[in-house]
Amino acid sequence: MPASAHATQGPQHRVLSAISLSRRLSANAEVSNISLEINRGDIVGLLGLNGAGKTTTLRMLSGVLAPDEGSVTIKGHSLSDSPIEARRQVGFLPDQPPLYNDMRVSEYLRLAGRIRGLKGNRLTERQDIVTEQCMLESVNRSLISTLSKGFRQRVGLAQALIHEPALLLLDEPSNGLDPQQLESMRNLIIETGKSAAVILSTHLLSEAQTTCNRVAIIHDGKLVADRPANGEDLEQIFHGATR
Amino acid sequence: MIGVIARHEGLRLLRSAQTWIIAALLAGLFGFLFLKQLESFLDLQAQLAIQDHPVGLSGFMSIRYLEPLALVFTVIAPLFAMRSFSDEYRHQTFALWQSSPVSTAALVIGKFLGILTVLLLLVVMAVAILFIMKIFVNIDIKLLLSAALGLSLCTAASAACGLYFSALTRQSLIAIIASLAVLLFSWMLGSANFSNLPLQSLVDLSIANHLRGFFQGYVQVRDVAFFILVTGLFLGLGIIKLDSLRHTGN
Repeated sequence: MPASAHATQGPQHRVLSAISLSRRLSANAEVSNISLEINRGDIVGLLGLNGAGKTTTLRMLSGVLAPDEGSVTIKGHSLSDSPIEARRQVGFLPDQPPLYNDMRVSEYLRLAGRIRGLKGNRLTERQDIVTEQCMLESVNRSLISTLSKGFRQRVGLAQALIHEPALLLLDEPSNGLDPQQLESMRNLIIETGKSAAVILSTHLLSEAQTTCNRVAIIHDGKLVADRPANGEDLEQIFHGATR
Repeated sequence: MIGVIARHEGLRLLRSAQTWIIAALLAGLFGFLFLKQLESFLDLQAQLAIQDHPVGLSGFMSIRYLEPLALVFTVIAPLFAMRSFSDEYRHQTFALWQSSPVSTAALVIGKFLGILTVLLLLVVMAVAILFIMKIFVNIDIKLLLSAALGLSLCTAASAACGLYFSALTRQSLIAIIASLAVLLFSWMLGSANFSNLPLQSLVDLSIANHLRGFFQGYVQVRDVAFFILVTGLFLGLGIIKLDSLRHTGN
């Protein structure tokens, strides 16, 4: 089992503990025996080739998909035993942002906040903050169906951030973003990573290198590397691990 | 949480053009049926008055105007519910609920209540026409309330059925066809004549049979229980189906 890059941090900072997660999807596709421990301040890049099992892993960590074997604990709450409490700590942006096309951006963010338990002034305050953080002011009153891919991605990110989750899970967050948006997304993730744990899946090594402080490489459904992102040549590590 | 989900679902329906088109068509249908049956009552009034148990205006309108509307609402309710989960699957918005601190039961019940609220507004519209008559004539309020209760319970059971089939498939068309097949089969059981004793008990599953009493002013516990059980059954099946999605991943 690859060692956690932040294994020295105490359990009081532990946000996520995933033990031996396995999930069979079809005869040819499975994720097996994935174990990860993530602490506050970790920004983990989940790297892998297409079809390696990154999305399945994130879906299991977010509670969308139940593992066949293994367990996930988020801030001390088991996803199988106390799923509501565990999911309260999670913000999840799937590869396809879960957006209602017939809603306005502001309405949608209020809904996302309400279903995460926010209300009253706190909801308004958080809505204003994520609107600003994700640079959605100009489209706040727009129908989601009229938004470009980049804006849709940012609305998806805003819904994942609105309740200040302890664990932020992002599946290919840079999809559809132009270089300027990519830069601000990167800054936002780094900023979020100061007070939360972040796992983002990507197949772009440069994105992982500039955004993450730790990388976990998945190949053929198995975790083949888990190490700090800086220091060694990431490209070399990646090619070595996925050969 | 159930309230938040119900509000979201209700507003989603009210934002849809389909809802307003159906509501407009229904308003026209209610007006037409009401006037037609009122005219019939005025024509038959003299004959009705000499019967052993004369039927008043309220009784006549309950059976001739409201009872047929039960079948209309049986068809309309799944139309409102058919997109509830199918659209979530198709547009991949279901992940929002799956990753949120919302229980499956709260999600299903919330969606059901949202749909039911919009449908009950239509039921109120249908029944309100009769209550307007109170300005001009005496009407049997209890009888009309009993009929309204029957109409509401039948609508609730039909909406729950539509919601369940919506949870089964990504295609809302398949959901509506399947729900209508089940609901109309249940209606037809009421007029079936089974000679075989075990099959005879199927008649007890007929929506029409359990509705009849409401429109005659009799609210029986067994009829109320039937609709509550059918509603609960479909909601329960919906919860089981949605919970299983975490395991099947489909």
